[in-house]
Amino acid sequence: MRHYASTCQGESHKATAKPCQDSSMSGQKDGVLVAVVCDGHGGDRYFRSDRGSRLCCEVTAKAVREFARKAPDDLFAGASLTQRGPLSTLDPADKLRRQDIMLRQLFASIIARWSEAILADAQASPLSDDERSQLKPEWQEAFEQGLDLEKVYGTTLMAYVQTRSYWLAFHIGDGKLVAYDGKEWSEPVPWDDRCFLNKTTSICDVDAIDKVRYCYCGDGSFPVAVFLGSDGIDDSFGPMDNLIDFYRQVAKAIVMEGPIKTRNTLANLLPQLSKRGSQDDMSVAYVYDEERLPALIPAIIRQQIERQEAAIASLRSTIEAEQAKAESLSEATSQRDTIERDYALKKAETLQLKMEAEEQRLANLQAELQSLPAPSQSEP
Amino acid sequence: MSLLDEVVEVPRRTMTLFFLIDTSGSMAGNKIGAVNDAVVNVLPILNDISASNPDAEIKVAALEFSSGCSWLYSEPKLASDFIWQDVEAEGLTSLGEACEELASKLSKSGYMKSASGSFAPAIILLSDGGPTDDFYGGLGKLKANNWFKHAIKVAIAIGDDADLEVLKDFTGNMEAVFSVHNIDALKKIIRVVAVTSSQIGSKSSSAGDTTKQQQVIDEVKQSVEDIDGAEAASDASVDSSSYDDDWD
Repeated sequence: MRHYASTCQGESHKATAKPCQDSSMSGQKDGVLVAVVCDGHGGDRYFRSDRGSRLCCEVTAKAVREFARKAPDDLFAGASLTQRGPLSTLDPADKLRRQDIMLRQLFASIIARWSEAILADAQASPLSDDERSQLKPEWQEAFEQGLDLEKVYGTTLMAYVQTRSYWLAFHIGDGKLVAYDGKEWSEPVPWDDRCFLNKTTSICDVDAIDKVRYCYCGDGSFPVAVFLGSDGIDDSFGPMDNLIDFYRQVAKAIVMEGPIKTRNTLANLLPQLSKRGSQDDMSVAYVYDEERLPALIPAIIRQQIERQEAAIASLRSTIEAEQAKAESLSEATSQRDTIERDYALKKAETLQLKMEAEEQRLANLQAELQSLPAPSQSEP
Repeated sequence: MSLLDEVVEVPRRTMTLFFLIDTSGSMAGNKIGAVNDAVVNVLPILNDISASNPDAEIKVAALEFSSGCSWLYSEPKLASDFIWQDVEAEGLTSLGEACEELASKLSKSGYMKSASGSFAPAIILLSDGGPTDDFYGGLGKLKANNWFKHAIKVAIAIGDDADLEVLKDFTGNMEAVFSVHNIDALKKIIRVVAVTSSQIGSKSSSAGDTTKQQQVIDEVKQSVEDIDGAEAASDASVDSSSYDDDWD
């Protein structure tokens, strides 16, 4: 497996001289692959969330490696993909299995280590003059008394872990974790509806342990690729299928242009994406199976082609509906009908242009598929 | 091969501004005339805000309610494309039905896209009376809606007969209710509320821990001090009896 993680300061943070509050990491050691993305909160109350997210990445990586080393060998053996929403949303009748109990211990350990780490940071780094000048007196006082430090350092947490015998992922807060299993792209970790627009659950919540959602799998099937992105990424792409298509592009680039070039491209792209999209800090971490991914590139392009064809069909249908509407109002006399007719015509024209652009994209994808080398024939 | 553009679209983020306009019979005459005039005049300003804002584009939707309710257009439109159609006043005040209709459109199958890439909407309610239908039944459905929960909500009480408690229950806060007592004040407050909500609602960064709703309230309150015939309904220091309703 290969891995990579990249973070950049968001455009709006540059404009207001705020630090980048995202952190990300990826690494592979002793057979344990880890990727983590943390997004520190943006409000004034969370004035050290940049440190909070960095410390969260560090303690998470350390804790999951220890977990992987110490957990019984058979803990996940044979377990098919099991997905758990936040404990607080589970039916009381749902019985927690041995795996769930062990994972809750892992999450509790991460939260405890993070709390220790931020306390140590607060003690080692008293408030600077710059911080004092920006904080309400009651926040300064609370910080100096070591109170509510979790808020000061608050962050989300998203992680993927893979060993030789199982994989698991967990998440508290927003951002999106997307996995590709060689056929489908999906979010293996259940979503939490409390994460909506700018509201998010957080490791700094009092009941954080009950808000962690997760999944695990030990039946020998592993994702081909997993992408972890902070909300700056998904806010830039909007609908989920658009985000997935971006990750398809990244997966293709890794194979067709090479992993190093793709890393460089992505590192250069994230600031541009922030500027054009969400304006927020950006983090992406990904892991992929370098042996399985290359053979799947034609299938990935075909998925893009299918998506493109569906988009074009939908546009064509809408254009026809708008043209029919305009036609039905061709004799309009009232102000309302006249406006509706003009809107329908204008919308049809706009969508026609969009459809032409989509058709060009489709042609590009078809050409890309054609240009791939033919699969090698196996020896008889 | 590019990671963007050729295949992947980076859509502009969207904030939708909703006008909920009471077009019951009591609004007839100068009141509805002022509403029509004010919205027509504020649309170009909203377009300017949208055009100069790198964070998001602003769309507008308008729902009128009297004996029933109806949208001016079947989908939100860019401020630049929105041609205001003068609304007329007649009938009852079906605010409950309007709440229910709004709740149905505050969804992905309605007017909203995915939460990723969207800003919370801003909703401006204008009314001069009290509901004549099951307001709380409709409001209950609206209050369960996630988009509504996160929306910027401001109400404009037109004249002394407006039911302030109802408007407070709609916005969730008496601070978000502003009263007006004459035509000029009505026009000005519509402009101030629409512009302020759009400016704050379509920005990706908020001012510290203050919610966008509170930022809007604070800014509108300041502006209201300079509008003769307008006041914050929550401001106990203002004696609303000092303003005589004047709608001629």
